[in-house]
Amino acid sequence: MKIAWRIVDLIVGGLFIYAGVLKVIDPIQFARDIDNYKILPWSIGVRLAFFLPWLEIFCGLALILRRLYLGGLSILSILMGVFLAASLIAKARGLDISCGCFGRVSKNFSFAWHLTLDFAIFAAIIALWFAQKNERGTRH
Amino acid sequence: MIARALRQAALLVVLAFLPAIGEAVYFRGKVPWQSRLTSGQTVDVDLARSWGENAMWVDARPDNEFAADHIPNAILLNEDRWNDLLPQFLAHWSPEKKIVVYCSAASCNLAEEVARRLRDEAKLPNDIRVLQGGWEEWQKKNK
Repeated sequence: MKIAWRIVDLIVGGLFIYAGVLKVIDPIQFARDIDNYKILPWSIGVRLAFFLPWLEIFCGLALILRRLYLGGLSILSILMGVFLAASLIAKARGLDISCGCFGRVSKNFSFAWHLTLDFAIFAAIIALWFAQKNERGTRH
Repeated sequence: MIARALRQAALLVVLAFLPAIGEAVYFRGKVPWQSRLTSGQTVDVDLARSWGENAMWVDARPDNEFAADHIPNAILLNEDRWNDLLPQFLAHWSPEKKIVVYCSAASCNLAEEVARRLRDEAKLPNDIRVLQGGWEEWQKKNK
């Protein structure tokens, strides 16, 4: 079972590293993607566009290397929660958004696809929390 | 467990800040820090109209919205059918004219993306602007 959770760590961590690297390469495009949600002013969104990709990369590495693991899991849970809420709010407001999560690769994803993928990642992160809790429980 | 998670999260935030600052310094001259589009990339309805025959209007909205109504003499060029519509646009194109791209309203981004593609992909040398407020603003001014 432990191996199965390690595989989930690697997949989730790898996905966030991949997503982060794509955004690091083109921060201005990511700033536009953030701005499309019409939640934050541009001046804040553009600064976040430089910071969030690196945070994703470090959290992904934390999951893969199992260093600062709980911190990585916490941040990724918050990021995914905020992102899912922002996506649903944007949709409710009738905004035609592309999340930009995976750079240009995800430009042609439909909203349903975005949501399915994001919920799957979010579910995996929550599952990792439980796995971590159980692991600690059996150790003590 | 919570205190440990918070400590680790704080450390990760600090770690992520370092390369982010480095990258921001690297890109500092290329990033519009205060607004998405600079004033040189947009135009208001009145100024665009004053250009008269020297302006070429481009409608970046979906086909059905263009078919319903559009700015007189505007040419349809949207991202959905970019490859089909670009030759038709280029047939009307003139290097001397200013290009004004619009979409439905101030909140849409289709015009900005089409303007970007005309600049970066089609490599047009024209003065290419996005219409402030888009079709909605045009209609208000023409009531």
